[in-house]
Order: sequence, then C-alpha cells, then structure tokens
Amino acid sequence: MNVKQLLDKLAGILNDERHAQIEKYKSLKKVLKALRNEKVALQAKLENTRDVTQRQEIESRLKIVTAQRKKGLVVLKELKKERKNQS
Amino acid sequence: MFRKLLFPIVFLTLGYGFWLSGEFKTIAAGVAIFLFGMISLEEGFKTFTGGTLERILKSSTSSIARSMGFGVLTTSIMQSSSLVSVITISFLSAGLLELTSAIGIIFGANLGTTTGAWLVAGFGLKVNLSAYAMPLLVFGVILVLQQARNLKGAGYVLAGLGFLFLGIHYMKDGFDTFGQGIYLAEYAMTGYAGVFAFAGIGILATVLMQSSHATLVLTIAALAAQQVSYENALALAIGSNVGTTITAIIGALSSGVNGRRLAGAHLIFNLTTGLIAILGIYQLMAVVEWISTHIGIAADNYTLQLAVFHTLFNVIGIVVMLPLITPLVKMLQKLLPIEEPEIEKPKYLNSASMDLADAAAEAVRNETVRLYDISVKVITNGLSVHSEIFQAEKKAKRVVKKSKEIIDRDIDDLYERKIKALYGAIVEFIVHTRAGYSKGLLREEMSALRGAGQNIVEAVKGVKHLRKNLNRFMKSDNVYISKEYNKLRFLIIRVLKKIDESRKITESDPSVMSLDLDPLKLDIEVRSEKISNGLDMLIRENCIDVQMATSFMNDISYCNETCWNLVEAATVLFSTSSRDDQSAMQSIALDEHEIAEIIETQ
Repeated sequence: MNVKQLLDKLAGILNDERHAQIEKYKSLKKVLKALRNEKVALQAKLENTRDVTQRQEIESRLKIVTAQRKKGLVVLKELKKERKNQS
Repeated sequence: MFRKLLFPIVFLTLGYGFWLSGEFKTIAAGVAIFLFGMISLEEGFKTFTGGTLERILKSSTSSIARSMGFGVLTTSIMQSSSLVSVITISFLSAGLLELTSAIGIIFGANLGTTTGAWLVAGFGLKVNLSAYAMPLLVFGVILVLQQARNLKGAGYVLAGLGFLFLGIHYMKDGFDTFGQGIYLAEYAMTGYAGVFAFAGIGILATVLMQSSHATLVLTIAALAAQQVSYENALALAIGSNVGTTITAIIGALSSGVNGRRLAGAHLIFNLTTGLIAILGIYQLMAVVEWISTHIGIAADNYTLQLAVFHTLFNVIGIVVMLPLITPLVKMLQKLLPIEEPEIEKPKYLNSASMDLADAAAEAVRNETVRLYDISVKVITNGLSVHSEIFQAEKKAKRVVKKSKEIIDRDIDDLYERKIKALYGAIVEFIVHTRAGYSKGLLREEMSALRGAGQNIVEAVKGVKHLRKNLNRFMKSDNVYISKEYNKLRFLIIRVLKKIDESRKITESDPSVMSLDLDPLKLDIEVRSEKISNGLDMLIRENCIDVQMATSFMNDISYCNETCWNLVEAATVLFSTSSRDDQSAMQSIALDEHEIAEIIETQ
C-alpha cells in the first residue's frame, strides 16, 4: 500500500461523506464485475442455444446487461473524478 | 364459516317454504318488494339532499312540537304509521333529518295512527294502500327514465312508495287466510292474564300482517260482533301498537346506524306506552268512560270507546316520553355507535424508532413493503382477479381468463382508507424522523423509500382509473374489446407475479441483484406496444368504434404507468443486499428512456 492509498483510507475514515463515496465506489465496482460475469455467461449461453425464442430472450437480456454496464461505467467514472477533485 | 353457510341455509329454507306454501311465497315476496321500496325511496330522497325537500323538512321539523305535528298529519293522511316510520328512517339515513326530530315524527305518527281507529269505528272507512301502488309504480318508472336529476329523484320516491304499498299489500294478502281463521270469541279471558294474552295476540297479528290497522280493523269488527270482550279488545289494540314497530325494524335493516337508532326509539316508545297501558288498563277504562260521557259517546258504543282508549294511551305515552327524548337519543347513540371507516394504521412506525436513524429506516422499509402488499390486494381486486393468482402453480393467463366476474369492491374507498392513509403516515414519519434530514446513504435510502411509496400510490391510482372502463368492457358484447382489456389485466398481473417470484428468490438468495427487474421493464414496453399496434388493426377492421379505441388508448397508458410504478417500487423494496450495494444498483437501473433505446435497436 503506497502513501497515496494510505492517505485515501485515512481521509475515508475521518470524513463521513468521503467514506460513503468510497463505499459506493467499491459497491459499484462489485456490481459491474457481477454484470461483466453475467454478460460473459449470457454470451456463452447464446452460442450454445439454437431455439429462436430462447435466443431472442438471451439477446434482449444481453442488451439490458450491456446497457446497465454502460450506465454503471459512466457513474463509476464520475465518482472517480469526484474523488480525484477532492484529493 | 357461519357466514358462508348462512346464505345457502336461508335460500334452502325459503325455497322449501315456497314449495310448501303459496301464502308463504306471497308473504316473502311482499317483504322483498317492501325492502326494495325502502331502497328506492332512500335513493330518491338522496337526490333531493341540499334542495327544496331539505327546506320543507327543516321548516316542518325544526322543533319537537313541529316534528310531532308533521308525524300526526302525514300518518293521518297516509293512514299508515308503518309507512311514515319507514319514510322517516329513509329521511334520517339520507341525512335530511336529525335523530331528535325523527323521534318527534315517530311520536306524532303514533298519535296519527289513532285517527285510523276513529275512521273505522266511526265511519268504517279505510284507505286502501294497494290501490295506489300500480299508478305510483307506473309514474315512478316513467320519471326514473328521465334525464333530469329532480325528476329521476321524484321517480325513485314514487316507485319506492309504490313498492312499499305493493309489498304491504302482498304481505296482507298472504296473511289473509290466517286473519280470517282467527275466532277471537273462543279465546275470551278476564283479568291481567287476559290482558297480557290478548296484547300478545295483538303483537303477533300485527307482526304477521305488517299492519296495526289490519289488527285494529279485525278487533273493531270482532268487538262490534261481540266476538271479543271490550277488555280483550283494548288489549289487542295495545298489542297492535307494539307490534307495528316490526315494520320499522325491517325498514331499519337495510338502512344505516341512524335508521337503526330510530327503530330502537320507536320500539322503546311503543313498548313503554304498551306497558303503561297494560298496567293501568282498568284506570284508563274509567277515564275513557268519563271522556266518552263528556263527548257524547253512548255507553254501549264500545268501538268508539276503543278509539278513545287508543288515542288516550298514545297521548299518555307521548306525555311520559317527551321529556325523555334527550336521554333516549344519548342512550341510543351510545348503544348504536356510528362505525368509523376503518383506516389503515401503520404497524412498524413508532416513536421509539424515530430517533435512531437505522431503526427508522428499517421501520419505513417494512411499512412501505406492507403498503405494497396491501396495494397488491387492492390492485387484484380492482382488476377483478382472484388472489389465488399468486399460488406458484397457477398460470397468470388462465386465472385472468377464469376471473370473469366483476369483484364488487369500492376501490376508491380502499384507496382512501388504506393506501393513502398509510402512505400519509409513512411520509409524516419520514419528515419527523432524524433519518429524514440525515445525510449520505441514509437520506438517499429514505428518499428512495418515499419514492417507492409514491410509486405504489400511483400504481393503485392507475388501476382506479383503468377499472372504470374495465368493468364496462369486461362483460361487453364486443368480444374484441373485452379481449383487449383482458390483455391489460394480464399485463399488470404478470408484472405482479414476476415481482413476487423475484421477491421470493431475493429472500432466499440475497446476492441476487435488484437489477434483475430491468428485463421486466423491457417486457412491459414490448407488450404495451404490441397491444397498441393490435388496437390500430382493430380500428382499421371496424371491430371496435373510435370511442372505445380512445378509451382503450388512455387505459393502455394507465396500465403501462401502473406496471412501471410497480417495478420501480419493487426495485427499491425487495433488495436484501447492503445499503451501499442497493444504492449502487439503483444508480444503474435503467429508466424508461434507456429501455426505449434498447427496443429501438431490436
């Protein structure tokens, strides 16, 4: 852990708002990771599915996960920016 | 259990009775017509609320003396205290009268009814009510069919009176044989035993014939033919006075608490009067003799002396009961309290959890989940779908198809008493709680929960709007429109079922994300669009008219909003992950615009 990370942790403990921001950032990363895993799993499922209706279902689900990830990445970027400005 | 069995038992008993006796059938039909008349009369009087009738009634019942005068006059004209008492009950139920004034009318009606005895004993006259029934019904129905509110109201009043007369006529008709079969001379008794026994017979005869006049006519006829002793005839008259209250009691069955209070007052007055008359019968007989001598009634004219007696004991009853009206009203108000509409009260929100931010947030969450559960019941009722829909093995489509009957629940009332009241309590709690003005995630959560509550309220409102046309078209002859409305019902039910399934999974596996409801949003949009496209085709092929189509277009929008509101609420409410994870997920859940973009790419 370098000095910057240590300072970040300390600031997080001392400042309530900053602490909440860090926790949200962490949660968002966790959710995005879960969404990425779901996307990979859906892509694999799509490759192995021949039934047209099932394929349509998986495709729309895939589109939703992609859109959610896209939105999540934008939020993550904003959070990152806010953190940078504060430090 | 008892309630479930009550109806079949009553129906079977009645059916058996009808099969057994034609007279019983006539009497039962009479009671039914009579009650229908009461309902019609109340409906009619309600249309005049706030208008002329209120002014006439107010001016003629502004004091007890005036009310009594009104009672005496109307009963003398109509020759039926029963009718005046049921009309008074309907006035009272419609809120046109105060209970005290209504009691005054009843007291007056009791005095007015004695004019009947004078007419019969003196002139042998009696106005036949049934003769009025037919024209009243004809005029009434013609007026009911008119558009103008006042004419319609007058029509309901006339038809109501017609039905009342007809009902009484059928009741009398049914008991005619019974009345003819009584030979009172065979039962002549002396002393108090005779008085009580004949008063009992008088009560029974009046209850069975639904008319004290009928009993009095029989009594006077029997007295004139010397079939019954003078003493026993007086007891019969007392009995008829007590028995007449049954009509008011039957009338009060279909009316509200005030109607029941008035029937109670009527019963108390007539019982007290009857008791005084029975206990002091010999003293009263002496007074009657004295009065008769002074007004020129022959000593052997027992029929007119009976009329004097009838008037005398009713006057005594009024003199005794008049000062007791206020305590009587108070007692009746205490015994028969007005049932307050049951307002949904919060279960989890309490002052103890107000100061602890986390406890407050948990309380608000639990209460909002409760609000959701209550709303689901209101929504399913509003869509006339049975609650068995949420059983796992039941297919939504099949249950919706099977639920063909309109569930008769007052959704507006449920919305006011349950949904709005509970949501109001939640908002009030949030505003007053520390968590309500805290910062960070807690504030975010409170705000999200408040939003979820608002979504639930909007969802119920959507169904409230949708229900109006749904009830109209669900049973329409036009199969196309009823099919389309079934699609809307199915869509909302499907959303509720999907949320229910997702909620069960989330409860057993907290790692499942609330983002899983986003596909449901896509599903709602796709299906709504499909229904809209189908509508265009139906218009083109003239399967439905333009008016139906515009109503349906509005309802698609209500349906769509309801579905979205339910999903938005569920996204906030049924996530069991940590507060941070919930907040993260809510920030990336897709909105209507983003879902629309996905549809465009498909």
